[in-house]
Amino acid sequence: MAELNETIHQPVRLRIMAALVTLEVGNEVDFSYLRDLLQVTAGNLGAHLHKLEEAGYITVNKLFVERKPRTFVAATAEGRKVFQEHVAALEAILKRK
Amino acid sequence: MNISPDEAEEALAAIQRTMRKTRRSFASSGAYIFLIITGIVWLVGFLSTQFLSGPIVAYIWTGMSLCGTALSVVLGRRMAPRVRGPSATASARRAGIFWLLLVLYGIAAIAIVRPTDGKQVTMLIILFIMIGQLAMGLLLSFSSVWWALPITALALIGYFLLPGIFYLWMGVLGGGGMIALALYIRLRW
Repeated sequence: MAELNETIHQPVRLRIMAALVTLEVGNEVDFSYLRDLLQVTAGNLGAHLHKLEEAGYITVNKLFVERKPRTFVAATAEGRKVFQEHVAALEAILKRK
Repeated sequence: MNISPDEAEEALAAIQRTMRKTRRSFASSGAYIFLIITGIVWLVGFLSTQFLSGPIVAYIWTGMSLCGTALSVVLGRRMAPRVRGPSATASARRAGIFWLLLVLYGIAAIAIVRPTDGKQVTMLIILFIMIGQLAMGLLLSFSSVWWALPITALALIGYFLLPGIFYLWMGVLGGGGMIALALYIRLRW
C-alpha cells in the first residue's frame, strides 16, 4: 500500500513537486519562473528545493545561459515515483472516508 | 504519518490546482506578447482597409506586418526559456517547421483558388492562421486552443452576414479581441 511522504507533504514542497511532475520527463524549469508560478519568495523556494534535493527527489542545475547565471529544476525518477505514491496514499485516505 | 480525510482532500485539491495552473502557464507563457502584436497589426491593418483606399492600404499592411514580425522575432529571442530539455527543444523546432509549412500551404491554396476580392484573401489567411493555432493548442497544450474558435466564428459572421463592414468588424473584434485576451492572460492567469 502506498505511504504518505513527510518530506513531500509540506504544502510548498507538495506544490513544487506537483509543478515539476507536470513537466515532461527530461525537461527542467527555470527557478524564477517556478517562484512566480508558486507565488513564493526566492528564499523560501530555495530552502524547500534544498530539502527536496537532499532527499533525491529533484535535481538543481546551475548553468550560464548567454553569459547569465540561471538555475533549472527538475523532478528525478525517484521524486516522480514518491510523488505518485503520495498522491495514491492521499486518495486511499479519501476512499476510506 | 497520519492525516485526516479533510487534510487529504485539501492536499489533493492543492495538487490539482498547481498542476492545472502549471499546464496553463506553460501553454500561455509569452503568448500574450504575440497576441498583442498580432492584435495591433490586425486593428490598424483592417481599419485602414475599411476606411482608406489606394496603395496606402497595402503599404500600411506591409509595414505593420514587417514591424510585427520583426518585433515578434526580437522579443521571442529575448524571452528567456522557462523550460529546457530535449522535448522542449524538439517541440519548438517542430512548431517552427509546422508554421513555415502552413504559410507555404496557405500561399499555394490562395494561388490555386485565386480569390476574387480582398475579403476572400483575408478569410483564407485568417482560416489558415486559426487552423495553425488550433493545431498548436491541441498538440502542445490544451488551454490556448479555445480562443481560435471564437475568432474564426467572428470572422465567418463578418464575412457572411456583415460584408459591408467586414474589415471594421475584423479590426475591432478580431484585433481588439486579441489585445483584450492578451491583457486578460497577462493579468488574470
